[in-house]
Amino acid sequence: MKLMPHPLTWWIWSIALAIGIARSNSLAISLSVVGVASLVVLQNREDAPWGESFNWTLKVAAFVILMRVSIGVLIGVPIPGTKILTLPILPLPTWMPGIRIGGTVTLERLTSTLHEGILLGSIIVICGAAASLTSPHRLLRVLPVMIYEFGVAVVIATSVLPQLVASLYRIRQAQKLRGQELRGLSSWKKVAIPLLEEALARSLDLAAAMDSRGYGFSRKRSKYRPTPWLVTDSLIAIAALITLFSSWSLIFAAGLPLVLRTRTLVTK
Amino acid sequence: MIQFSNVSLTYPNSTRTILDGLNLTIKEGELVLVIGPTGCGKSSLLRLINGLVPHHTGGILSGDICVDGISTQLVKPGGLAHLIGIVGQNPLNGFVSDTVEEELAFAMEALNIAPDVMRKRVEEVLDLLSLSQLRARSIATLSGGEQQRVAIGSALVMHPKILVLDEPTSALDPIAAEEVLSILHRLVHDLSLTVVIAEHKLERVIQFADRIVHINGAGEAIVGSPQEILKTSQIAPPIVHLARALGLKDIALSVREMRRMTQDFRNQNFLTPDSQIIEFGSTLISVKGLEISYGQKFALLPTNTSIREGEIVAVMGRNGAGKSSLLRAIAGVITPSKGGIDLLGSNPLTLKGRERRSQIGFIPQEPSDLLYGQSVAQECKQGDNDNEIDSGKTFEVLNQLVPGISPHTHPRDLSEGQRLGLALSLVLSANPKVLILDEPTRGLDYQAKGALIKTLINFAQLYRRAIIIATHDVELVAELATRVIFIADGEIVADGPTIEILLSSPAFAPQVAKVMAPQPWLIVKDVIDAIARNP
Repeated sequence: MKLMPHPLTWWIWSIALAIGIARSNSLAISLSVVGVASLVVLQNREDAPWGESFNWTLKVAAFVILMRVSIGVLIGVPIPGTKILTLPILPLPTWMPGIRIGGTVTLERLTSTLHEGILLGSIIVICGAAASLTSPHRLLRVLPVMIYEFGVAVVIATSVLPQLVASLYRIRQAQKLRGQELRGLSSWKKVAIPLLEEALARSLDLAAAMDSRGYGFSRKRSKYRPTPWLVTDSLIAIAALITLFSSWSLIFAAGLPLVLRTRTLVTK
Repeated sequence: MIQFSNVSLTYPNSTRTILDGLNLTIKEGELVLVIGPTGCGKSSLLRLINGLVPHHTGGILSGDICVDGISTQLVKPGGLAHLIGIVGQNPLNGFVSDTVEEELAFAMEALNIAPDVMRKRVEEVLDLLSLSQLRARSIATLSGGEQQRVAIGSALVMHPKILVLDEPTSALDPIAAEEVLSILHRLVHDLSLTVVIAEHKLERVIQFADRIVHINGAGEAIVGSPQEILKTSQIAPPIVHLARALGLKDIALSVREMRRMTQDFRNQNFLTPDSQIIEFGSTLISVKGLEISYGQKFALLPTNTSIREGEIVAVMGRNGAGKSSLLRAIAGVITPSKGGIDLLGSNPLTLKGRERRSQIGFIPQEPSDLLYGQSVAQECKQGDNDNEIDSGKTFEVLNQLVPGISPHTHPRDLSEGQRLGLALSLVLSANPKVLILDEPTRGLDYQAKGALIKTLINFAQLYRRAIIIATHDVELVAELATRVIFIADGEIVADGPTIEILLSSPAFAPQVAKVMAPQPWLIVKDVIDAIARNP
């Protein structure tokens, strides 16, 4: 059975989890949170464009981790430790002291960037989970009118983004029919240009429609059907907050040396 | 009710004047039709009424527009929401809620109307537009006609005095279009609602219009009664062309009037033409036991058919009947759940790259999906390279199709018809054996449609190619197709020569056929030919 909680519930849940991940700075916690979030999404997402967007969030997260690791390993100050391999050093002009591209790759360097990359990726996945679990349209209804501009922006971002995924699929299909082999980086341009054009046109359409129907014109809003906050919503939020606080206490228990170590590494 | 006084409009970063000194008064309870070639500023005119232009788009506006005594210069679009309901070209892009009922309530919620009033109004509108069966449905699952009705409904709940619609029937099949238009007609007569519509398919709306605003593309606009405007206008539905061809003094706007005027003519004895059999070549595509399903849902039940060289096959049917699925399966982009397609001995699913281009050309519903270049010239060059043909060849094809496009234009700045022309010339320059088009006439004006028809017939006959086209446009089918496949609920329910299929169903008969029944003529040219045979 699918849960249909209050539109804010999943966002509270995911923000709490994301903060938890960032605070705990622990791989085990972030990976288990991502695992749980993925299960929740697979179980509860709706059969709608935003529901489909989760797979893409996963891909984006993987890309971010990859980028973080490759940049972390290639560029920057070397950390002493176990040597894995040595890359040729790219000669840089003298006015760029302290920056090094290439050089020795140590195990410590690799694990620490991987660690950071996974934390970053996990936060992206958690936010993507909330986006794919919540209908952006229902979210708009509960946002206060006071933050009108913000409301429009949120609706456009959250409703156009998932629609992008549907358009992406359609455009790739069309390009394939033009006999374009879509591999490599250059092919991205072929997809991105029509995609962005359409996203822009859709956003403008939506904003115009909201405007001409009087959205944000009146300071007060009435509710056709109130969106109730149920026990389930409280339970989900409480569960997320418990995770958050337990990660907090973890910092002072097992996580403290870890935090200190990264601090010292940064200050070095 | 609406007063344009000396209105001129220019968009920023553009030298073209969209409107130049337009004076127009629309009275209460009038249904005004805005016509003109694509890109001439019809949508701009409509959006001027509630101030979306220039409040939302920018632009230099001079003169004044007064709506029910309120100047749009002083009020933002939201401030006119209780007075004007506006339905955009693509209602799906403007929906802000998930279910029909919530969508209807959205604008009232925004204006802080009391919940009990809201309840009552929503019920009224659900009844008025016969939407009550759909009240809890998710909007994304509705058909095109239903979506259009929801969009109209969500404007009507505000009890507006004016309803503005931008191409309300362009994406609809003939029956759904009739439904929407008859609702509008009733609203005008029952509630004295003022309605302003922009539409290309005049044959659908002309009989309902009280007045026409004809924008000619150079900023000038002529306002007059339908009879006045259409007597001389280049943009005219087939029924008017028929009246001109027959040399009638007056023009008629409805089939009923026209039948009265042509009674004597119809009752003459015409010689039946020598049955002209077009020779079709060998089979290009054979569809064997093709079955398509998405998850649990069947899109296409087991289907068998074959398509030969030189044939132009129109695939017709309601929105969501399975037309696109059939076309996509033939093009080899969706994998059938059972059965398959044989295209000259190969399976279209496995075709790639250059081989694919030379076998199948496909124009999707949004032709711009195919385009990614920064200029027309760049796109054409890509086409030349892809197909290993002489440089400049693709542009030549484009120039024949839609003359006068500057090669430096960005594809985004082209009009709907020009963009279709560009996509088509890219596909045609590969000279594919089969050409597939998915609803190519959305937003096309008569001129662009004429050019499209000419090109396609040429291509099929000259090169002995097969063309498959999915469309709602009956007039296009009458002019173009040699054969019609009619699909309902994933099943082929009729398959035969165009003339047989179109004449056998009144809803899908073109205007000329409706006027001239029982004579078996579909288009104006058929009538002219018949007269020529009987001097």
